[in-house]
Amino acid sequence: MAIQNDRDFKAALTALEVPQQRALAAQFVRRVQGLSGDPRVLTAVELAARAAFGTVTEAELALAAQAANTARVESFTQCGKETDWTAQAGHFVAKAAVACVRPAAEAAKNTESLAWDAAMQARMARTCQTVAEGSGTDNPEAIEQYRLLEALLNS
Amino acid sequence: MSASLDKGVRVLKEVIDAPIASYFNSCVHCGLCAEACLFYTETGDPKYTPIHKLEPLRRLYEQEYTLLGRAKKALGLSKPVTDAELAEWQELVYNSCTLCGRCSVVCPVGNDIVYMVRKFREGMSASGNAPEGIKGAANRTVTLGSPMGVKLPAVKAQMRHVEDDTGIPIPLDVEGAEYMVMLSSMEIINFPEYLGAIAKIMQQAGKTWTLCSTAFEATNAGMQIGNSDLARVIVSRIVDGAERLKVKTVISPECGHAYTALRWEGANLVGRPFTFEVKHIIEVLGEFQAAGLLKTEGKETDRLTFHDPCQLARRGGVIQQQRSLMNQVAANFVEMPDAGFMNWCCGGGGGASAIEEGEELRLEAFKKKKSQLDAVKPDRLVTACANCRIVLEEGLEHYQMDIPVIGLTEMIAEHIPEQGA
Amino acid sequence: MNELQLLTWARGTGLDLAVAIFVLGVIWRLIEIYSLGRKKDLSAPRQVQGASGWHTVFRRSVPPPGMVKKSPVSYLGGYTFHIGLAVVVFGFAPHIKLVEGISGLSWPGLPSQFVDFVAVVTMAAMIVVLVDRLNKPVKRYLSTFEDYATWALTFLPVLTGWLAVQHMVLPYTTMLALHILSVELLLVFLPFTKLFHAFTVFGSRWFNGTVNGHKGVAV
Repeated sequence: MAIQNDRDFKAALTALEVPQQRALAAQFVRRVQGLSGDPRVLTAVELAARAAFGTVTEAELALAAQAANTARVESFTQCGKETDWTAQAGHFVAKAAVACVRPAAEAAKNTESLAWDAAMQARMARTCQTVAEGSGTDNPEAIEQYRLLEALLNS
Repeated sequence: MSASLDKGVRVLKEVIDAPIASYFNSCVHCGLCAEACLFYTETGDPKYTPIHKLEPLRRLYEQEYTLLGRAKKALGLSKPVTDAELAEWQELVYNSCTLCGRCSVVCPVGNDIVYMVRKFREGMSASGNAPEGIKGAANRTVTLGSPMGVKLPAVKAQMRHVEDDTGIPIPLDVEGAEYMVMLSSMEIINFPEYLGAIAKIMQQAGKTWTLCSTAFEATNAGMQIGNSDLARVIVSRIVDGAERLKVKTVISPECGHAYTALRWEGANLVGRPFTFEVKHIIEVLGEFQAAGLLKTEGKETDRLTFHDPCQLARRGGVIQQQRSLMNQVAANFVEMPDAGFMNWCCGGGGGASAIEEGEELRLEAFKKKKSQLDAVKPDRLVTACANCRIVLEEGLEHYQMDIPVIGLTEMIAEHIPEQGA
Repeated sequence: MNELQLLTWARGTGLDLAVAIFVLGVIWRLIEIYSLGRKKDLSAPRQVQGASGWHTVFRRSVPPPGMVKKSPVSYLGGYTFHIGLAVVVFGFAPHIKLVEGISGLSWPGLPSQFVDFVAVVTMAAMIVVLVDRLNKPVKRYLSTFEDYATWALTFLPVLTGWLAVQHMVLPYTTMLALHILSVELLLVFLPFTKLFHAFTVFGSRWFNGTVNGHKGVAV
């Protein structure tokens, strides 16, 4: 199956089971995790990656979510400060990581799938990077995300 | 723009008017203003008493504008305002004041203390005594066109992102649109979901709207630092854009001081009434709701409470709309004590959150917000100001309170059903 | 100078001087303050019932939500002595006679026993308020010589007046002279100290109410 637009992308993601969503979300975030140096973010992503194998407990996820959330809150750009777009990219990576380890109960309540959230935040991180580099607004992150989803569906 | 004490004093003499004179002459040192100020109530330090934050201005007023004061000065009996004193006052005028305005509401003799602090900042800024954190924002406004250095490419990147996310095109520079939507840097940088929410709401309401490539920035650092010239630069850009695009209404985003700067100070800064209306997004949503243009599905079921941003409610006059909107999408909306126009400040407005040295004080002052939340124990906290959101999240994080914070506009948009193909 | 001469001076020249300084002082100070003017507000107003300068002039006398709890002495003590002063000054028959003598205006007085009682309550309230000023950190921090001096300037007329009526401490003539002199001191200093809030409170509340009313906030 080929994913060619966001509507199909979103629908396919939402149809996945939560552990699979986590694993895929982790892949999305891995692509941009270099933009954040925060160990809490990396830990969350590692944990989410293992979720597909069923070796992760809700308690571990909750702990990781809390840590990643702190990382997110700490990396906001303050009102009035000069925007460091590279640093801001790190903020969105943290946000994506939080989505990855969103506890199952909360994931069930949300209208947006956690994988979609992670994908959007990862794209935002990439956008911040391209803004920082001054290389314009186009970035192929979405296409790369489609490829990852296709790979999962076809396997 | 060189700063100096002389310049500062000159600016202060210019801003003193009949209200300020009346206020200084009415103060009876009752100290009630302190009881309304979270920086005093949470620290117990009397130096944070609001009227005390104005002491150098009071002396200047006395020495320049009263007969007795001038006589005392001539006889060498009065204490002049010095650079050192203004430097000492920086903490009081900026770090420990968010221009929240509670003091002005409680003073028994009617003193509008927040008005005086706002004017005092003009002199502080002109004399070079504004904090580094906000000075930077002021410089960037001049050199880069945006207090936080946000330029059009960044906005366009955001637009692309939001278009992908929602599937709705974001209009730019559309002449004759009914609404011109402003963004605060905070939204462009931290909360891209806001723009998506606007797109969904406008689409459902069937209203025409646009962003403006030369005036997308609503954040007014000039207003925060107390530099009217700078504040004027930003507002003029918005006025030019709005008039060029011939829009009916300019929408101020979920940002407190942007609204105050544009809606209430704007016309006075540019010296003429606006030819368009200015409304806060919450006002616009309120109007849509009243006109039946806001059709939502479902309600949040968890326990929600609302934090009234000071510049929106007490200082802006938008108090009821957010409540009606909450009731439309929340089944379990509870008010915290002192909600509405007497709400307590998040502690980070007026430029305070950009002042690093003031962080410890802000976190201490946050205990007041914490006490409001402890009284109502919500599952989540809703607000309508991007800066409040961040300050609240930081405070909650610091006090280990697990209460997610969300924006009202986003929450409403989440309940708008997906449009067909 | 014996006490009768003192009393005569106080009632005559002294009073003329004090009232003249008071009236001229009040006029001058009002001009000094309000002639500074203010800029017109060019922003579009929000029309809301009940939010205006005039509303605030009266409404500000009511404590805002949650405030009495924070400083009950300020509100309760303050109301008591302000109302007490008004009752004593305007309700006591001899005072009304004095005003009638100068201007021809008069109105019914209150029973002298009641005025006596109110005078005592007023003095008690003023002492409580003074003690609070000395005790509370914020009030103590803000207070200057002027705060204590104006307290005395306001307290002495009530004290000396009451003592005179009671025929206590000093012979009546002397006490009365002291009372009138203390009132004259109060009149002379009122326009030039924080006591002038008696006049500027209206302007201040009005400006505040107008600015907020413009935005549709009833303060």
